[in-house]
Amino acid sequence: MFPAPKTVNSDKKMVAMKTLLKSDPKLPIYSLSDNAVTIEFGREISEGILEIITAFDQSLCQTPFPRFIASVPAYTSLSVFFDPVRVIQSDEMPGAACFEKVSGYLSQLHEKLENTTTDTGNIVTIPVCYDPEFGLDIIDVAKIHKLTVDAVIQLHSAAEYNVHMIGFMPGFAYLGGMTDSLATPRKGTPRSAVPAGSVGIAGKQTGIYPLQTPGGWQLIGQTPVKLFNVNRAQPSLLKAGDRLIFKPITRLEFDHLAATE
Amino acid sequence: MKIRILRPGLLSTIQDMGRHHFLSQGVPLSGAMDSLSARIANKAVGNRDDQAVIEFTYADAGFMAETDLLIAYAGDGMRLQCGPQILPPERPIFIPAGTIVQLVHNSTGVHTYLSVAGGWDVPEVLGSKSTCLAASFGGFNGRPLRADDVLSSNGHISDIAKSLFERLKNEQVNFSKWSIPTALLLPSNRKVIRVTLGREAGWFKSQSVTDFFSTPYQLNRHCNRMGFHLDGLEIIRTKKDELISTAVTPGAIQVTGNGQMILLMADCQTTGGYPRIAQVASVDLPLCGQLKPGDSIYFNEISRREAEVLYLKREDELSKLTTALKSIFL
Repeated sequence: MFPAPKTVNSDKKMVAMKTLLKSDPKLPIYSLSDNAVTIEFGREISEGILEIITAFDQSLCQTPFPRFIASVPAYTSLSVFFDPVRVIQSDEMPGAACFEKVSGYLSQLHEKLENTTTDTGNIVTIPVCYDPEFGLDIIDVAKIHKLTVDAVIQLHSAAEYNVHMIGFMPGFAYLGGMTDSLATPRKGTPRSAVPAGSVGIAGKQTGIYPLQTPGGWQLIGQTPVKLFNVNRAQPSLLKAGDRLIFKPITRLEFDHLAATE
Repeated sequence: MKIRILRPGLLSTIQDMGRHHFLSQGVPLSGAMDSLSARIANKAVGNRDDQAVIEFTYADAGFMAETDLLIAYAGDGMRLQCGPQILPPERPIFIPAGTIVQLVHNSTGVHTYLSVAGGWDVPEVLGSKSTCLAASFGGFNGRPLRADDVLSSNGHISDIAKSLFERLKNEQVNFSKWSIPTALLLPSNRKVIRVTLGREAGWFKSQSVTDFFSTPYQLNRHCNRMGFHLDGLEIIRTKKDELISTAVTPGAIQVTGNGQMILLMADCQTTGGYPRIAQVASVDLPLCGQLKPGDSIYFNEISRREAEVLYLKREDELSKLTTALKSIFL
């Protein structure tokens, strides 16, 4: 009766890395801190870079170097954290310093990437109730763009979004793919408390507040789904590389889903 | 072992060495602001370096020993006192049940770490016992300590801790004559912070970079576990490009739109979009954890290689301390 699957695992898109990687195999890597390096994959935000970073990250996590700790994908970069005490002791990676050892390993991994294919992540469906009770600003947003509220809902829920990175707060996804026709400036005065699950627009971005927090986004709806929950194996519902669809739901469906979350 | 918090102080949280495996999901690192002092407090009671400690902010706090205790403390935020008796830091202290312990102000720093044999027993959440204040989880029920909170130690204590407990057990407060002086591990001038150049250091006027390394910067009142705002000569940007957000880590020194700087600390966000003029060498991050509003600091440039060598040397010294304790007490 309330079909709102959160995650659909089918329909993964397979991408041949060869078609995305440039011929120049030299990776720009810089030292982020004594225990991390950052690989810069480019200087423009794009779906192509997102796919390369996602593929590289998957490959690194499947074949990590000894004492790899964590990786953090961002719009155009991937940062790689490690334990310097152990890395320096490792004979498997050549180099006199941790930076040389780790960047050498990452460069090699990058060369191998050309022969791989990658899946571009799950499609995650986020049910959203666009009722003005939750979407406190949806009527204003419609007015600004000279649209009906239904047209705003239609435009917002018709697109497929890319999760470029998670940051700012636990579980917050930076999404790409919103139509420019919905771009709306932030509110003049931020609200002191925006409820968790609120869906909003700020400039050319749309996003979901994972936690209750102050915020200045134009609120157009709310999802009953928990974006961040420490009791899940993957506490953040979304991860970089996922694709996302907003599915309009009624107030009744919202209540039902909220009760089962 | 068990204590009851009588007065919680300004901000008292459970911390360990941080939550390292969920950065890609936006979960901040957290962990002790002055990780060196937290580790020394742990070593002094025979704990592993990464066991959970209480991080106190300044003094104005107190607790009651509900059972006999083997504790230690380190850091520059306060001194422990039982009645008129000052308890010295950086060494194991035996406290008999029923004793009231007060935290007494000490003007030099901010944070002090209280360890207990076995570590404070709170559940591990996402691989760490640190309190994540941003999302209210981890530590003690995801929040700062309050009056009447009762904290217990993990019942499993090390052989060193057992040995120390037997040696110090007494009718009254008792502590060892030896200590682990943190000062020996630190540079003599703790207000000079060693940094490496940040990725976007070239985005600023060369005079501004010169100013950065030659003039003092003062922490203003906007300081918390996420970061410190610094007052001083304006850092002028020449490259006006928008920086595409990327991962940041504690120790990053970001320059905001108005030319002011923010030094990111333990609870900082995992990604950031301000250009970075410098990155504090890991070895000096614990020094930053003791800075408070009004403190003036200087930045001193070192190379990436020097920063790494200093870090590895520090870690080597710390692991030798553990070896020494084992050889004496086991």
